[in-house]
Amino acid sequence: MKASQVKVCVLRIEGTNCEEEMFMSFKRLGAKPEKVHLKQLTGTDVSQEEKRDLSDYHILALPGGFSAGDYVRAGAIFAARMKSKLSKDLVEFIKAGKPVLGVCNGFQILVETGLLPAMSGIMSEFPEAVLGTNDSARFECRPTLLRKVNRGSCAFTSRISPDKISLIPSAHAEGKLMFPLDRTKAVLRELEDNDQIVFKYVDPEGNLAGYPWCPNGATENIAGICNREGNVFGLMPHPERVFFRFTHPDWTRETDGPGDGRAVFESVLDYATRKL
Amino acid sequence: MQRVRDHFRERGRNPTDVELQSIGQAWSEHCCYKSSKVFLKEYVFGINTKQVIDRGDAGVMEFDKDHAYALRIESHNHPSAVEPYGGAATGIGGIIRDVLCMGAQPIALVDPLFFGPLDYPPEKVPRGIKHPKYLFGGIVAGIRDYGNRVGLPTVSGGVWFDESYVGNCLVNVGCVGIADKKNIRRNAVKGPGDVLVLVGGRTGRDGIHGVTFASAVLTKETETESRGAVQLGDPIMKEPVIHALLDANERGLVNGMKDLGGGGLSCVVGEIALAGGCGAEVDLGKVPLKEEGLAPWEIWVSESQERMMLAVSPRNVDEVLHVFKLWDVPATPVGKVIPEKSVRLYFQGEKVFDVELEFLTAGPVYCRPCSVARTSGKKGDKAPKPKDRYDRELLKLLATPNICNKDYVIRQYDHEVRGNTVIKPLQGKLGHWSHGDAAVLKPVEDSFRGLAIATASNPFAVGIDPYRGGKTCVDEMCRNLAAVGARPHSFTNCLNFGNPEKPDRLWLFREAVRGMGEVAKSLGVPTPSGNVSFYNEAPSGAVLPTPAILGCGIVRDIRKCVTSDLKREGNTVAIVGATAPEMGASAYYRLTKSHSRRVPDVDIQALRAGMDVVIGGIERGAVVACHDISDGGLAVALAEMCVGGDVGLEADISKMEKLRSDVRLFSESNSRWVVELRKGKEKQLPKDRKTKVVRLGTVCGSSLKISANKVLVDVEVAKLADSFNSTLWRLMG
Repeated sequence: MKASQVKVCVLRIEGTNCEEEMFMSFKRLGAKPEKVHLKQLTGTDVSQEEKRDLSDYHILALPGGFSAGDYVRAGAIFAARMKSKLSKDLVEFIKAGKPVLGVCNGFQILVETGLLPAMSGIMSEFPEAVLGTNDSARFECRPTLLRKVNRGSCAFTSRISPDKISLIPSAHAEGKLMFPLDRTKAVLRELEDNDQIVFKYVDPEGNLAGYPWCPNGATENIAGICNREGNVFGLMPHPERVFFRFTHPDWTRETDGPGDGRAVFESVLDYATRKL
Repeated sequence: MQRVRDHFRERGRNPTDVELQSIGQAWSEHCCYKSSKVFLKEYVFGINTKQVIDRGDAGVMEFDKDHAYALRIESHNHPSAVEPYGGAATGIGGIIRDVLCMGAQPIALVDPLFFGPLDYPPEKVPRGIKHPKYLFGGIVAGIRDYGNRVGLPTVSGGVWFDESYVGNCLVNVGCVGIADKKNIRRNAVKGPGDVLVLVGGRTGRDGIHGVTFASAVLTKETETESRGAVQLGDPIMKEPVIHALLDANERGLVNGMKDLGGGGLSCVVGEIALAGGCGAEVDLGKVPLKEEGLAPWEIWVSESQERMMLAVSPRNVDEVLHVFKLWDVPATPVGKVIPEKSVRLYFQGEKVFDVELEFLTAGPVYCRPCSVARTSGKKGDKAPKPKDRYDRELLKLLATPNICNKDYVIRQYDHEVRGNTVIKPLQGKLGHWSHGDAAVLKPVEDSFRGLAIATASNPFAVGIDPYRGGKTCVDEMCRNLAAVGARPHSFTNCLNFGNPEKPDRLWLFREAVRGMGEVAKSLGVPTPSGNVSFYNEAPSGAVLPTPAILGCGIVRDIRKCVTSDLKREGNTVAIVGATAPEMGASAYYRLTKSHSRRVPDVDIQALRAGMDVVIGGIERGAVVACHDISDGGLAVALAEMCVGGDVGLEADISKMEKLRSDVRLFSESNSRWVVELRKGKEKQLPKDRKTKVVRLGTVCGSSLKISANKVLVDVEVAKLADSFNSTLWRLMG
């Protein structure tokens, strides 16, 4: 399949607010993204021509934002709405090997839906992890550096060389990835064995570092994880904000080259064009 | 009151309660600018360029051939003083609607804030007034939670501290938007038959009498009496309103629209109808309510948030309602446009209101007396003692709340959502950051043209010399824009002053406006929108006269933009512009408890020439870092550049004007910048006989060393950073 045939569903509800840059990131690479309201997939309040079927798309992208206001745990409301009406479609979509991306609030939604880390199966009945309130207890908008630790399973990072440090900025209040406290070690080992850990927050030398390099206090500095098959990927930082060099926070010091986030979108389009 | 009585006597009936309430709203200072109009007309309204497209709820300017941008700033002072979190949040909501109703997609927020000192002794805070620290925390959180949720980057702003703001903090909120020119709408109906569709939030008892409350002095009773005047914001109603409204507008379904702000329905219906040369009939019974039992007058004047009025042709109404339904946003036809220039209201089948629009919207215009403020010439000049070294003064200045790093605030605001923020508010080498002068957005996908946004205000200068202070504010805006490589293009201002019924307060206003207008007119920079906020007083006195400016500039190619942090060892650093012993209102004089009435003046020719040198140097790639010289003067500007770049600098200031060393270091003379020049390209900096450029030294080492025949300052950059970075964290900790 050619990139121009890859249809991307950029899914949104009220409060999703990073859809424009997510949409553009796919469009700039020649894919066919579409901004789709969840109600268009569930068929609520929409006309026949506005109705959409998830299975018609090749990639599902959940952008950042504050879906439904996130006045309860971030992502929980979007996840509940999705799970109640779309569970079957989602499971089939993922089973077919189609990629799902969740950035920031999208990551929170994937975790709340049980699609990540999905240690056993495709969708867990209950969330197996949580993106808790940052250690600072504040919203943190700052540049973060991510080291790629994935060994090759993830469909979204094939174009990023191992251990490469990418600048991908963070902007969230709830990004502290945690696992059940009594089983953290075991979960981490399993994630490691399954090659489910994708990015870790590091300092400029590549070391796991504390605040502010790790903006939230996440377990083991984990910034992004994927499912066992590698086709569902969630991360807190925003690759779509650094598609171009000139939106890097320090680009006036180093003006050459593409933005570090672009490789995430190139990787998944590579995957889609080869596999689907 | 006399005019109201005569009006109804002519008609042989008594006014209804709805009618009286309505007139009260429409004629408040907030809505009709009755005290300020005279001066605004004289000094600033006349500035025009062919790029001004519209002056509606927001000003609309040409961005490029196909696009326009909208801008507006306004105050939300009184609500924020009573209910900081909610007041600030709804301020953001309101300003977004002002931009939205021009048909523009909001793309950036700007927040200049003014507080009393954070460590102000609690026992000195007047009764009924909240402590500055509480207000600061609540207001920042309100802006953060609303701005972040609604998905707009907060890219510029500022925080000022002064004792005069203890009794009345100032919260100004600005918004900038972008649109295809073909989608720009007027705040007007198209003609009779248009259906008025009310969209967004439901109407409740919150925010009743908001505008009349905004046009009064705060007292200790304000809290209990006016809590109901503060509206409640809901960003998750606003966010889908933005989508639905822009969607409906892009499909060509909307004839005109207007935001429900101050005065609620009572202002919007008359204004949108009259702007189209018509009147309107509204059935108040159709307005969706938050709760049962509101009296018609309450529905009519409520300022409940997140509401907008759309004028829609009858054939398009169903499609508009469908678009809003998809986003779960209430949208209700509540009335229609009629050819007679009257507003008629019905409630449960009964006519409760019938007033001619020309009477309703013809608020009085006052020509109130003004006279020179009594403070003039009160304090004589007192200069600080000269010293051998100024290390301690520099470190202290860097740590003062007015100068220190505002990262505590800035990092709580998402400043890059939408992915278009090219030049960000915090700038520096990774892991280090200092302030930039302006933010730059790249609003159009297939173009490298940029929109620069800067905030400027200098209440200290305006307080001593309002005319020069007003000029200084516009100069600062121009400096900030030029420092990133942008040409000033337009500005909008929020003028926060005291009670205009007091002649000395009004004089301050007139002089400040005169100064601002003079510089802007001469540079040809129009002000297509603006806002006046009077009555910023508590029993303890008025706030410093505070014009806050949101300036927009055009960058021809964002890839040429520069930031303020020093880039590379070995590069030359120079000062552009002339320094004078204008120490009045300077941070240094305030720190050393010295006095001077000589506030920096603006030589408009020098400003224009200086901007050409700086912008030319940036566009030619000769300038790799640039910072304007403002609070704290040259020494602070150099220190901030070192902190951002995490690198030292050796500067010799002996070639500057023959002045005292501390004047050279800390003067805040206008129209000046520090530039870092790329090695080998120094000669590319444009030359101009009106602009003085003095080479200061070289980027090198890890200390800031400033000398003039002898060492004046020698401090490690890490120590500068420590002073600069820690203040707000300590005060808020």
